[in-house]
Amino acid sequence: MPNIEQEIREIIAEIIEKKPETITGDANLFEDLGADSMMALEILAALEKKYKVVIPEDKLTQLTSLRKIMELVETLKKKR
Amino acid sequence: MENQILEIEDLKRILPQRYPFLMIDRVIYSGQDKVVALKNVSVNEGFFEGHFPDEKVMPGVLIIEAIAQTGIVLVHNVKSKEKKIDKDKKRIYFLGGINKVRFFQPVKPGDQLKIEVKPVKLISNIGMICGEVFVKDKKVAQAELSFSMKEID
Repeated sequence: MPNIEQEIREIIAEIIEKKPETITGDANLFEDLGADSMMALEILAALEKKYKVVIPEDKLTQLTSLRKIMELVETLKKKR
Repeated sequence: MENQILEIEDLKRILPQRYPFLMIDRVIYSGQDKVVALKNVSVNEGFFEGHFPDEKVMPGVLIIEAIAQTGIVLVHNVKSKEKKIDKDKKRIYFLGGINKVRFFQPVKPGDQLKIEVKPVKLISNIGMICGEVFVKDKKVAQAELSFSMKEID
């Protein structure tokens, strides 16, 4: 069983160019960590590829923290 | 609409760029799944004078620009089909990021670039595309670009 939290943290860290340990569950990617909308899209595309899910466009604005992203990916994986 | 050849006058209706910054000459496949464009690289290109005086090599950044412009045609196709954009409104595009870039061999005067671009993820006003560039079926470059677009008056 892979550790999804750590996997997603590393995906985010690489795209927003921050150290993985700065990305806590509730840190706001935009306000606290300086991500922008294009980085958010890159994160979304990377998650879709890795977990073979489709993330609807209207969810994009809700993906503001590692915890929220994890919850969404878990939900989508179950639906798959 | 699907798979039609787009000549330069057609492209100028889609692309906001103009001389000397039109980096594709013709589109030979124009779909929503993929766009394939051609660029003929002539010795008369202005950039060859300085890049480099003793050995003419097309700058990699301009190959990226050719991918980006082919990507604009792709985005135009997808958005027109979705009827999410006003076809007659002018749009400009901003590069947001370039990932997974590789240049495999130099592009020289006389080469014809074949630029193939596919969507990675396109949403309302931002998107990601991936592009591969070939000379005589040999891959010379690849990149993944993210961009945003804006309508202008």
